Amino acid sequence: MPFKNWLFAAAVAMLLGGSLAGAISAPARAETVLNRGIGATISTLDPQVNFLATDGFILDDIYEGLIDYDANGQIVPGAAEKWDVSDDGLTYTFHLRDGLKWSSGEPLVAQDFANGIVRTIDPATASDKAYIFTTTVSVTGAADFNGGTNKDPASVGATAPDAKTLVIKLAKPAPYALLLMSSFYAPPLHKPSLDKFGKDFIKPENIVSNGAYKMIENVPQSHVTLVRNPNYWDAASVKIDKVVYRVTEDDNTAVKLWQAGELDLTIDIPSDQIDKLKAEFGDQVHVSSSTESVYESFNLKKPPFDNPKLREALSLAIDRDALINKVLKGGYSVNCSYTIPIPNYDAPKLPDCAMAKADRVAKAKQLYAEAGFGPDKPLSLAIESTNSDSPKKMAETIAVMWKQTLGVDAKVHAQDRDSWLAVFSAGTWDVFNDDLVGDFAGPESYLSYMDPRAEAGYNWPSPEYEATIDKALAVGDQAGRYKLLAETEKILLDSYLTAPVAAGPNRHLVRSSVKGWGDNPPDWHSSRLMSIEAQ
Amino acid sequence: MFAYAIRRIIGSVPTLFALTAITFIMMRIAPGGPFSGNRKITKDALANIERAYHLDEPLWLQFARYVWGVLHFDFGPSMTYRDYTVSELIRAGFPTSLEVGMWAMLLATLTGIALGIAGALRRNQPIDYVAGALAMTGLAIPIFVIGPILQLVFGLRLGWLPLADWPGDFAHKIMPVVTLALPNIAYVSRLMRGSMIETVRTNYVRTARAKGIGEWRTIARHAFKGAILPVVAYLGPATAVTITGSIVVEQIFGIPGIGRYFVTGANNRDYPLMLGVTLFYGAIVIFANLLTDIARGLLDPKVSYE
Repeated sequence: MPFKNWLFAAAVAMLLGGSLAGAISAPARAETVLNRGIGATISTLDPQVNFLATDGFILDDIYEGLIDYDANGQIVPGAAEKWDVSDDGLTYTFHLRDGLKWSSGEPLVAQDFANGIVRTIDPATASDKAYIFTTTVSVTGAADFNGGTNKDPASVGATAPDAKTLVIKLAKPAPYALLLMSSFYAPPLHKPSLDKFGKDFIKPENIVSNGAYKMIENVPQSHVTLVRNPNYWDAASVKIDKVVYRVTEDDNTAVKLWQAGELDLTIDIPSDQIDKLKAEFGDQVHVSSSTESVYESFNLKKPPFDNPKLREALSLAIDRDALINKVLKGGYSVNCSYTIPIPNYDAPKLPDCAMAKADRVAKAKQLYAEAGFGPDKPLSLAIESTNSDSPKKMAETIAVMWKQTLGVDAKVHAQDRDSWLAVFSAGTWDVFNDDLVGDFAGPESYLSYMDPRAEAGYNWPSPEYEATIDKALAVGDQAGRYKLLAETEKILLDSYLTAPVAAGPNRHLVRSSVKGWGDNPPDWHSSRLMSIEAQ
Repeated sequence: MFAYAIRRIIGSVPTLFALTAITFIMMRIAPGGPFSGNRKITKDALANIERAYHLDEPLWLQFARYVWGVLHFDFGPSMTYRDYTVSELIRAGFPTSLEVGMWAMLLATLTGIALGIAGALRRNQPIDYVAGALAMTGLAIPIFVIGPILQLVFGLRLGWLPLADWPGDFAHKIMPVVTLALPNIAYVSRLMRGSMIETVRTNYVRTARAKGIGEWRTIARHAFKGAILPVVAYLGPATAVTITGSIVVEQIFGIPGIGRYFVTGANNRDYPLMLGVTLFYGAIVIFANLLTDIARGLLDPKVSYE
């Protein structure tokens, strides 16, 4: 066929094909692509194993849990269209939507969700997040099954009486349990593909998932490509056709890629660039509070830190305003509670923050002297910190403040994250430059972590705290529970086991053409909620 | 020469074994473990994970298990990138590192030698000063500064070159290759210049000149062969370093190579990954040194393989 004719035939075929496709589906339009920077490389995309928030973005797009989060991080129905909670708060019954399907077209049933939970806590899975179901939300039988004392999966309190009903039984009330029924914690399991491919069941050529998108490509250290899943129950409202997650290990490069238009969203912004970028790009620079609480912990097992007066003096000697707003910046905000700011929760605050500087310093000096220290007998201590930029800067600044205000001989040990955690477990530290990223934006996540029975390693015996938090968690009604949790937090703050300092930031560059983005502390951003507006 | 190569390869086995043993011990001395990053993990769950990766066994057994695996070309599972084995990661990343590294070394060798010879033959003239200044810049400015500057100028401001990523086309290769080549250009040109200055003063070059051979032929046919020897000695190990990737260049330009594994493997206490890349690197260094020695034998009649 001569070239010209061939070209003509191709044009006709394209026209025909286009109008045919147009007649069948929506009017023809250009494919929309969302390019998301993902930061460091993916650890694992195994939905029951992964524990990293960054990989969680991808998993959230390809799997759907019983519940979803909206753009503001609030609970909305997911694969379950409704649910009932028993009066004692111990039984959750989820009712799945009609006609749910896996990306392969097979029906998705309640047992698939039960299988997901069982696999997460199966010792053979070796999952980092088994604790969610063994302790955070104590599903009955989960701890024994995970510990290997009971090997029968049927003993776990996650069962499916029929294809559309999932019943989860808890050993003790966990009023926040719904928040943990999302794709990140409770994705369903497609057992046939796991049985067939083993750990390769999540490779693009094998994967069967139930989210708004399905994965078609995964290049290690480079990118992951997702396309719409036509079998998703709400596929009609998914607006973006293709999502590309690009590995962006260097945050500065990610910013440049965003500036060049190659990325629509970044995973972070280097602290020193926020002001400059804000001046140039205005509200495309998103800086908001995260669920990270940043604090200094004192080792109660190591004198003289067992002296509450000394701990209070050290807390008072931290000028939080100067530390956060003049030195650290980068979107951190001063926080005088152990929990991060949470809507409807009236957190107790350290008195330190409300005091005038002169009073604060005077009281710090007085308590320091009462604890038996002074210019002739200065306290010497070491702050254990990671060698990441912001934590290190924070520890060094606090060391200087303690030195200037009280004359403390404070050193900073900056080390890699693993060494830092090893020092903590060894219990040899004086002061630990500490943080906690909450699993969800509720006071329960933080206060349960500090429960002396949770063996976090703080050596803090407090029957009073244990009794109060137990009482609080048994209350189903949020207002009543939050009131008791505030009492629990007050016990913690009064003990000066920790000196809270700041709430961490979520930092993203979001192109103005991307609609449907909402800042929220747990940092959930499903691609299915977003659209791209032509500019 | 063939027998010599075989002897050298056999002789490298104890070296690689020692390298494995030392790396294994050093990794275990470092505090922390591969799965200690999640502080909320329960003791039972941690025990489950450690059992799955055989970390609960005595050290000697873990070491024996590792060596046995290596003998079967199995470097074990990565504990950081849990969807992959170490062999898969190296297989996926090495071709890219090799490609960037080879282009960078080619560019560095050709440019460095040309600049070095030019500097030596035109000593204390403008071209020597320019070559010297270039070399000093290349040596003094670290690549983690050069890379972002190139990105800023050629990628963002001028828009001539793509900023990062590795789709395999020519344009995406330019900046990472140049960044990686710069320090090597500097080093090669300095070596070449010094060596050439010495060589042109030797008796055999003077003899060549006395015979009335033209200047260009004297340099190209006689002096060059002698002057290149120190450069060849440098190129072996330098190539081994360059083709196994650079974490800085890989991270800045988003290149899916293996250079980052040396750092992430160590930081995350990913024992199999760290051991795997170290062993792989060791083997490449040994091979590069062997090639260097063979090349020196071909260039220098004083070297014998016995």
